[in-house]
Amino acid sequence: MEILQQLWQIICHLLGESGFSKLTWENYAMVGISFVLMYLAIKKQFEPLLLLPIAFGMCLVNLFPDIMGLPTTELLTKAQMLDKNLDPSTYPTTVLNDGVTYYNYTQYGGLFYYLYQGVKLGIYPPLIFLGIGCMTDFGPLIANPKSFILGAAAQIGIFLTFIIATAMGIFKPEEAGSIAIIGGADGPTAIFVTTQLAPQLLGPIAVAAYSYMALVPIIQPPIMRALTTKKERSVVMGQLRPVSKLERILFPIIVVVLVATLLPDAAPLVGMLMLGNLFKESGVVDRINKTAQNELMNIITIFLGVTVGATASGKVFLTIQTGGIILLGLFAFCLATACGVLFGKIMHKATGGKVNPLIGSAGVSAVPMAARISQKVGQEENPGNFLLMHAMGPNVAGVIGSAVAAGVLLSVLK
Amino acid sequence: MNNMMQAFILLLAGFLVVFCVLILLIIVVTLYSKTIRSVQEANRKKKEAKIQVKAAKAEPKTKPEPQVETAVTAEDDGEIPGEIIAVIAAAVDAVYGDKPHRIKAVKKSRSSRSAWARAGALQNTRPF
Repeated sequence: MEILQQLWQIICHLLGESGFSKLTWENYAMVGISFVLMYLAIKKQFEPLLLLPIAFGMCLVNLFPDIMGLPTTELLTKAQMLDKNLDPSTYPTTVLNDGVTYYNYTQYGGLFYYLYQGVKLGIYPPLIFLGIGCMTDFGPLIANPKSFILGAAAQIGIFLTFIIATAMGIFKPEEAGSIAIIGGADGPTAIFVTTQLAPQLLGPIAVAAYSYMALVPIIQPPIMRALTTKKERSVVMGQLRPVSKLERILFPIIVVVLVATLLPDAAPLVGMLMLGNLFKESGVVDRINKTAQNELMNIITIFLGVTVGATASGKVFLTIQTGGIILLGLFAFCLATACGVLFGKIMHKATGGKVNPLIGSAGVSAVPMAARISQKVGQEENPGNFLLMHAMGPNVAGVIGSAVAAGVLLSVLK
Repeated sequence: MNNMMQAFILLLAGFLVVFCVLILLIIVVTLYSKTIRSVQEANRKKKEAKIQVKAAKAEPKTKPEPQVETAVTAEDDGEIPGEIIAVIAAAVDAVYGDKPHRIKAVKKSRSSRSAWARAGALQNTRPF
């Protein structure tokens, strides 16, 4: 009989500790959302490298919230320590005003709490930029520097969204700036800006930024088709000139000197991006180049993905404020795409029809997804049209442009 | 109201700074690209001139052999063999699949992109 009673107590204890008793409906709703994201990542292959870790982190934190738990320190008396079967001599002590010696009983935080420090302290975004720099070919941009204009045009979405978010009255200017930067479609930049301007909004903004980056294939094509004619989409662009090695090597050095001098706040992002590119183009640090673009990039992507997803716990995420952030982020992203395409149309007219306006949408800096979308939409009209390399120019210009826009927001709002 | 004024000023400043920085980059990149290309072109011409001078000095005294004329084949006069057309038709069918399609003409492309480069580009853009 006693055995049965103890068994029952153990079962009750396990049930009390299980998710059935601790989780709320918000947690289950978020688990459902994470399943949808996993489906999009695996079945539809929407940026799976990002979306899959984000979705899984989201799922895990809602099933086991303590995985993001903060470290805590309790002050216990000697008797309380002995009650817990702890050896007081191995713990540091604190003597309070009452003259009693207390033992600092520290409980460590959850796994994701520690991994998240890289996001919170702004360490991961520049490291991601280092890897992106190693993988980026600035050749199309050097061959056709006018692409920089399309990269700048897409940043208009950021500043227009900032006005709208401020006008809504529910966000402070710093928060509005952090929300607006989602329009840059650049996850690392969005995180970098938000950690400095509105760290309390980091979770929703990071999730929104990365989700929209992953959903570029769904969001961008309808806007591109709506703003262009069939004739414009069919334009075949001439082949780009070959770029010499010297031009490629000098490019990152010149850009970092210019941008870091003019906008020091953008220096960590642009600096690491250009360092990575110099690794690649110099050709003398092959080992470092390979590590930065493969092992380091993959490790940081895993840490960043799961911890960004883990910020989306039900109670924090399913609020009106987060809904506002998600909608404004989507608006910023759509506006950035539209501004890029419209500037592409202006360039199309200005060059007498030599520029395909579809490459303008690649001015948002989701590299290389946005450029691939330009290629895909262009090829729907003309299967023999290869816009990818032409779209890579505005695409990498968008990375620099969003880092510059981030520098402006930081220097004014910080 | 104060916030809105600040937001509007930031909007203008943001436009101005982002466009100015990127236009400055356009100018700098264009200038240094032109400089490098002109220097490299000058170097190339110098090298070519040197090679020509050397070649002229070492010119053989024997008469050059007469060139053999190549036979004109069906491809040379612009005709495309039936097998090639069949392969192209099969490739078009593979791309379009079930969609209704019709090949009206097959012409030789003047594109400078090689068949391998086209195949590579297709491979790179296949994920969608």
